[in-house]
Amino acid sequence: MPRPVSETSRNPVGDLASADRVGIGWRHLHYAELLERQPSLAFLEVHTENFFAPGGAALAVLEQGRAHYPISLHGVGLSLGSAVGLDVWHLDQLASLVQRIEPVRVSDHACFARGVLQGKPVHAADLLPIPFSTEALDVLCAHVNQVQDRLQRVFMVENLSAYLRWKAPSTPSEPERVWLETEFLITLARRTGCQLLVDVNNIYVNALNARMRFGDLADPLQSCRDWLDAIPAEVVGELHLAGHCYVSDAHGDIVIDDHGSRVCDPVWDVYRHAIARFGAVPTLIEWDTDVPALDVLLDEADRARSHLLASVQAQERSA
Amino acid sequence: MSTLAHQQQLLLEALFAWPAGYAIKNIAIEIDDTGVRGLKAYQANGHALAHSALQAAYPVVAQLMGDESFADLARALWHAQPPTRGDIAQWGGGLPGFLESSAQLQDEPYLPDVARVEWALHRCAGALDAEPDLATFGLLTTHEPAQVQMRLAPGCAVVRSAWPAASIVGAHLEGSPSLQEAGAQLRRGEAQDAVVWRAGLRPRVRLALDGEHDALQALLQGKSLADVLDTAPALDFGLWLPLAVQSGLVLGVTPIDAASNPAQN
Repeated sequence: MPRPVSETSRNPVGDLASADRVGIGWRHLHYAELLERQPSLAFLEVHTENFFAPGGAALAVLEQGRAHYPISLHGVGLSLGSAVGLDVWHLDQLASLVQRIEPVRVSDHACFARGVLQGKPVHAADLLPIPFSTEALDVLCAHVNQVQDRLQRVFMVENLSAYLRWKAPSTPSEPERVWLETEFLITLARRTGCQLLVDVNNIYVNALNARMRFGDLADPLQSCRDWLDAIPAEVVGELHLAGHCYVSDAHGDIVIDDHGSRVCDPVWDVYRHAIARFGAVPTLIEWDTDVPALDVLLDEADRARSHLLASVQAQERSA
Repeated sequence: MSTLAHQQQLLLEALFAWPAGYAIKNIAIEIDDTGVRGLKAYQANGHALAHSALQAAYPVVAQLMGDESFADLARALWHAQPPTRGDIAQWGGGLPGFLESSAQLQDEPYLPDVARVEWALHRCAGALDAEPDLATFGLLTTHEPAQVQMRLAPGCAVVRSAWPAASIVGAHLEGSPSLQEAGAQLRRGEAQDAVVWRAGLRPRVRLALDGEHDALQALLQGKSLADVLDTAPALDFGLWLPLAVQSGLVLGVTPIDAASNPAQN
């Protein structure tokens, strides 16, 4: 059983001094414009691996951004759930970047990508789903502990949008336990002291695919609310919002979390439920495909901010 | 092998095997996925990522091949030489050799060297920053050539080619020479050495001067200025040095510490 992580030797997950808790993903298209305009944002999120190089223009831009905004480092390549272990090189690059940038938060996903094929290491460069098995949970906990020990800070782990489901493997004697995703993530947080980065769009995408592809009869919105209701507020460190798309081709129908459009109305509904439950949690607007004008992202951020404000005011009234 | 390791290996095999028929049958037993639709989504994502990552590193090769052929190439490389790191920018260094071994591309024999120059530029872009220190050039007047080394710009590299690779890349990325001139050099089968370096934050490429390839190779190996001059007698050092300093290729001069560099003695 992985040991619980001591919080005493670590910096806590960064909190934001201002009441404004909304940030945006800062992508190449907006590097210069954002530095020039410096709009009011609580933080900027960048993809960690894009800044692994020890020097050059990208890192210089991030240093400039850091002078004006707190930075949230969000990774996509750590492969926390991999059965072959973490890549020490990757962890070294992450630790070096964290030391240099002093981010407000550091995160990655509850997924795997690394493995060995024909005796050689491979990395799928994707967020591949892990089964919600006890073995996978133990592996994930061990790796989150390893990361937190190395970084000496609390890490955040994001729930996945998954396009396939693992069957429960069974032994001759009895089937292996399959955890609910929420149980799995809560146990991860409890055992390691990590926080959860709850991607609201991912929950909705999973609910849509469950109905469309796996015959789940539940109402997707209600499924999302139930998912959020199962998560204790104290383990949630950040919320993510993004767009998704429907794909229908020769292979069949599927909903893809492509981060390529505005947040849809049902996801805003789920978000309102999330902040009513979790409070004014830092919230990120993500947009990675067909990145639009900066003003579109800022408009989405304004919308999230207005929901946060309304939620805070409602909670104050009820108190 | 544990259950988890087995599951993950099956999924990775299904994503990287090409053709993937048998691997998809193997993984289908382990997953709930009608018509392996989800698996197709991951495959498509991998192929799209391969295309965009390779295009970012090799914009000139991509332009020379055309989008459709380059997408096919990216997909083939993805399956033949999968990424090994979680930073996709690290992937793609095997493209020059892959192009060289491609039977379909034997009519474009210059492409591998163009790719070598582009990969050097790609690596150069993220090399550790370094600042020029012009005051150190005074060491050239106070020290013997055997007692000093020259400090090169981040990511400095030289690529020797039997083709006008420097001109082809330069014409596409920097507008110099013109595409017409690069095309004429290609038809003449002109051999060129390319110099790659970073001027400040900007990766640069140009045609090497006479003897410059050998000189830079020696400098990259940490040899003394005396050894460099011996290695590259064709280099006109008096002409080269001001140009190299002005363009940010050479950042300074360092005295050789005899104790730590016994090979220099």
